[in-house]
This record gives sequence, structure tokens and C-alpha cells, in this order.
Amino acid sequence: MTAGHPHAVPVPAGYRVGSWEVREPLASGAFGTVYAARRTGGGEPDQPRQAALKFLPTGTHTPRRLRHLRELADREVDLLRRLRSPRLIRMYDVLTVDDPALPELDGATVLVLEQAEGSLEELLRRTPVPGSGPALLAQVCEGLHQLHHAGWVHGDLKPGNVLLMKDGSVRLADFNMAAELEGTHAYSPAFSTPDYTPPELLWPELGERGRQIRPTADIWAFGVLAHLVLTDSYPLPGGSTDARCDAAVRYARGTEELRLSPRLPEAWREIVTDCLARSHDLRAAHDSASLLRRAEQAAGEARSARLPRLRPRRPRRSAWVATLAGTLAATAAAVAVTYATLRDDGPTYGYHRCPAGSVCFFSEEFGNGEMCDWADDDPDWLSGDETCAWTRDRPVRSIFNNGVEAPGRGGVAYYRGTDFTAAGIDRTRMEQRTGCTSMRQQGNLAGTYAPRSHEWVPNC
Amino acid sequence: MYSVIVVPPSCERPGSQIRIAAGERLAFGRAAPESGLTVAHPGVPRNAGEITAHQSFWLLSNHSADQTYVVENPEGAGEHVKVSPGRLDAPIPFEFSRVVLPAAGDLLRFDVWAPRHRYRPRGAVPSPGAATAPAFALDRTTRYYAVLAALCEPRLRAEPHAPLPTVGQVTERLRPNWPTVSRSAVHWNIDYLAVKLGLRPGPEAADAGPRLNGKKETLVSLALRFDLVGEDDLIVLGPLPSGAAR
Repeated sequence: MTAGHPHAVPVPAGYRVGSWEVREPLASGAFGTVYAARRTGGGEPDQPRQAALKFLPTGTHTPRRLRHLRELADREVDLLRRLRSPRLIRMYDVLTVDDPALPELDGATVLVLEQAEGSLEELLRRTPVPGSGPALLAQVCEGLHQLHHAGWVHGDLKPGNVLLMKDGSVRLADFNMAAELEGTHAYSPAFSTPDYTPPELLWPELGERGRQIRPTADIWAFGVLAHLVLTDSYPLPGGSTDARCDAAVRYARGTEELRLSPRLPEAWREIVTDCLARSHDLRAAHDSASLLRRAEQAAGEARSARLPRLRPRRPRRSAWVATLAGTLAATAAAVAVTYATLRDDGPTYGYHRCPAGSVCFFSEEFGNGEMCDWADDDPDWLSGDETCAWTRDRPVRSIFNNGVEAPGRGGVAYYRGTDFTAAGIDRTRMEQRTGCTSMRQQGNLAGTYAPRSHEWVPNC
Repeated sequence: MYSVIVVPPSCERPGSQIRIAAGERLAFGRAAPESGLTVAHPGVPRNAGEITAHQSFWLLSNHSADQTYVVENPEGAGEHVKVSPGRLDAPIPFEFSRVVLPAAGDLLRFDVWAPRHRYRPRGAVPSPGAATAPAFALDRTTRYYAVLAALCEPRLRAEPHAPLPTVGQVTERLRPNWPTVSRSAVHWNIDYLAVKLGLRPGPEAADAGPRLNGKKETLVSLALRFDLVGEDDLIVLGPLPSGAAR
């Protein structure tokens, strides 16, 4: 796992650093190796029991080699010490290995980080075009916004640097290239991932401080990432990185047009096109704040909505993934899938199945169980074009209003009677209805009834 | 964003180099179009051929009726590619090339550089493209690399603020492994490195005096900062000459 990377750091299992005991390697990147670790006794009380330890080979056994790694490690530590945002990986501590008996490790910098379930890269390898893609992208965009807002540029946004947590939420990670803005520019080490690098930085001009980058570099990378997540292909044509870089240059020079995949959902086409604008100047019109608004809208994602877990506990992985993929593929009409049965700890959320622009009712709590979804009003759930048969004898236990804001559409009101009329207990209520859920709200209901009709209303 | 540089014969100044971007074509011949490269010799066809930049390399089309063109690698110990008459888009694999056109008993030459050749970072395995890689890739077997190593050597072996060697000292240091080295060859390689690494022309570029020194200084600090040359790489220079002051 760690072989083949120039700066891989081999650490024996069971090795102790501070109050941490190293376990299995999780990933090896361009500049270091990440291991799972568990806390043994002591340590700070606010630190978790499990963490990911990132070893950066900043040791002194070869004083004249790898000096840029010191700088790259410092960048990451600097950023993580100063920034703590919900969408950025959290750092608990920084340690330095002091072990003259192991010269390979002595002096290594160890970042104690929040442990993730895996990366977006791994998810895409298993499930190209994941159904949770739009929601994930909205969160990536949220992370970028938090970073840019704080005055930093990531500099190396790509699927391998987007981590997915146990609860399915997203964290940006790997800040070795990150740079703090000095005015409009930042200076970043001259490393990049060509497929995610804007054309003007493919062959950057270098000064002694490295290359100049601007937040629009991250915006470009987000455009590439979004295209990849939503269509399983790069936005620029070519079977190799070289060919795609070539195409990016031709596109930037205006000799070639951008032809995005026809698989790209309409809601995202404009966003991706703006992110991939030809030049820095054109891209600069779209800052991360406006992109975030648009991405959240395209994802139909309430800001607080939670995402599906990346993967189940072993040994149910394959079954769960297959079920999830199948579930996500079928978003057309009223979908009936038993979703919650493979759950093994804590609530799993099923709200993400709700198509953008729709209101969805579920037979179980937290968006699980069977789902009925509507884009419009329905005067009678049990007859007509769209029916929701399971509500004949079972209650609705949760709801997600995943609608898109529009005049006259601020919430969904639901009634026990047909044709948006009150029935039974509704009549005793002032509003003369069962309930009303505002745009982007989700949650569990009392679970003692099922409505017979619903309509969009200006507000609840 | 160019990927190939064509250096016309007897080109003295970088300003007359022709930079072509990926996908662009450059015609050459006795009566090349204004945007092309004119090779003024009666033995050269009016439209002699075409160069196309393609990704990090380039393609040569031979439009002559009966002349075979030869593309030599000047650092390749006789390595060359023959491009027969009428051949279209022959790929040329060298970073440095000298195109030789036979013309009525004369041999005419011009150079083509492909400074965007890519190399995998040291120690890395091939990866499908998502790897974070340095923005510059140097070929450790080339002469420019030897020149860079010689420039960095004092700081790698001695203290970090050692003065840079002069071009004369570099020439002497390189001579054991490169007997034909000259001061102008060292200058040429320093200029090429600046092009290859995309050095932003410093504020001193305008005035002629300290220009080269500024360029050398920037090259060395970049090379050391990003580990383009490490202590292990000094092997390309061969052993230190005996009696060297170290």
C-alpha cells in the first residue's frame, strides 16, 4: 500500500507516538502516509479514541534531502491550526517523532487528524456516478467556501483529497499545497495534479517563492471534480492526462469549445461551465459563495441534510453497496425499497433518495423505508395518476421537502382528507390541516397517520 | 502555454524563437507564410514541411518531393529519426532536436525544443494521473541537468549560503564527463533551464549586467527548494577533482 510513493513512511503496527498506538496504514499520498491509530490511556480529554495519523517524512537523517517536505508539512499544520470549519478535516494535535533508534522515522511530523471512512476517490472507484454525488458536491463547495472565506487557497482539490466521514459528510483534507492569500494571490509550491489544474497553471511561471495561485484555481478544480462525480468522465477530451492537458490549453486559447458530457444533469451544466471558464478573469466572476448557493440548489440539499454513510461495517459491504447503488438509480417515481434493514449502528439517513424539486414521504423515520415522492400537488394519494399504496394501511413516519424555491412554493401542506380538505383530527386544528413542512426541511413525524392529499403553499 | 519552441538558424536572441502551442502548426520553407519559418536557400522547396506541436512532443511533415529530412538528438550520441519525402506527422521523441535539411549539397539546420517532456517523480510508481506531481520534470541524463547539478553542488556539499560557482568554474567541473563543454554551452543550458522551469523574468532582466547571475541564483534556489537536485544526484558530475577545495 505504501510502496511506490517517493515519500512513503513505513511505521510498524503497534508503534507508539505520544499517546497514540499506530495500527494499519490507511493511505499513502504524494508526501506522506496515513495510519489508523488508537488512543492509549492519557492524552487530551477532547481527543477521540480513534484518529488518523499522517506521517510526513521531515526527519533529519538526510539533512539535505526532502527540504521541501518541511515546507509542505508546515503549510498543512499552519492552516489546520488556524482554521477550524465543519467541512475541513480537523486536526487534534501535531507531534514530532523522537526516536533515534529508528532514523527513518526520527523527526517525522505527525498530524493527529479526524479519522475518515474513506475518500471520494475510493467511493468513485466502487460506485461511479454515485447517487449521493450532488449532495457530496454541495458539501465540497461548502468546504471550499469556508477555505476561501478564511483567505486560503487549497491548491490541490481532487477526489483523493475529499474525505467522507462515518456519517457520510464531507471534509476537505491534504493542505500541503494550501496557501494564504496575500492580496489577490497566494504562493504555492509548484506541485499540482494536472487533470485538476487550470490551463493557466499547467506550465506556470515560477518565481523564487513558487507559483502564484488564486482561488479561481480551486474553482476550476471543483468544475472538473463535479463533472467527474456526475458523469464518470473528465470534462476535457482525451484518453491520457497529457491529451487532456493539451485539450485544456487549446480550450483556454479559444481554439476549441468546451463539450461537456450529455450525462451531466441540467441543473449542474451551468455551474460546471462557469467553473471551467477559459481564464482566471472569467472564472473570477464566480466566487465560492455564489457557487455554494447554486450547488446547494442544484443538489436540492438542505444545508443541514446528512448524507449516506460511505460504507457499512464489514462483512456486509458488497450487499450494502449494491443496495445503495440500486436505490439511487431508481429515483423516477414512487420508489419502494426497504432501506434501513442493513443498518447496524446509529440512524442511517435515507433522505438523499428524494429527487430534487420533490416532496417525499417515508414509511420509516430518518427518510428510511418506502418512499413516495411528488413534484406537484396530489389531491388523492390513493387514486389518480400517482398513488402511494403503502399509506393505505401504514403511517408516514418522516418527510423531506426537497423542493426548489419558487414564487408560491415555500412549503407543502398535507391533509387527512382528499382535495386538500381537513378530515378527522384536522378539523380540531386552527389551520384545518395535518401539517406543513417548509422548503428544505426534513424530519420525523408523529407516525400515527398518513395524509390523503398535499399541496404546495406559499409558506407554512 | 506553448509546448514546442523552434529556434531558427543563427538565432541569437530569445525574441526570435518561435513558440507554438499544442495543436498549432508552423510551416517552414523557402517561401513560408509570414507566420512560418523562412529557410532562405535556393535548394529548399518553397513549402518544405510543417511542424505540429502535439501534447509534449511534436510532429514533422516532409513536404519535399525527394529529400529525406533527418532529425538528430544533439545529446543522443548519434540518435536520430529519418523522415522520408511525403511523410506526414512523424512523431519526434527528443527533448532537443536538430532538423537537418539537405539542400543542393549544403546541410541546413534549425533546432526544435520540446521542454514539456514529462518525467515521473523520483521513486514514484506509474499512476493513472490523479497523483500530485511537481510542475517541472527534469531529465537527469541531460546536459542541462549536469549544469544545474554543478551550479547547486557547492551549496549541497558545503554550507547553504556558499557563493555560486562562476560559469568558468562550472565549465571546468563538467569537463571530465563532457570533454567538449564550453562556456557558451554552459550559458546555453542555463538559458534553456530558465525556459524549461518557466522562470519569470526578474526585474533585473532589462539591464544586461547582473542578468545571468540573477538567473543562476533563481535556478539554484528553486532547484534546492524543490529538491530538483539532491546530494545523491551529484553523481552525474562524477567525483570531485582531486585537490578541490572542500
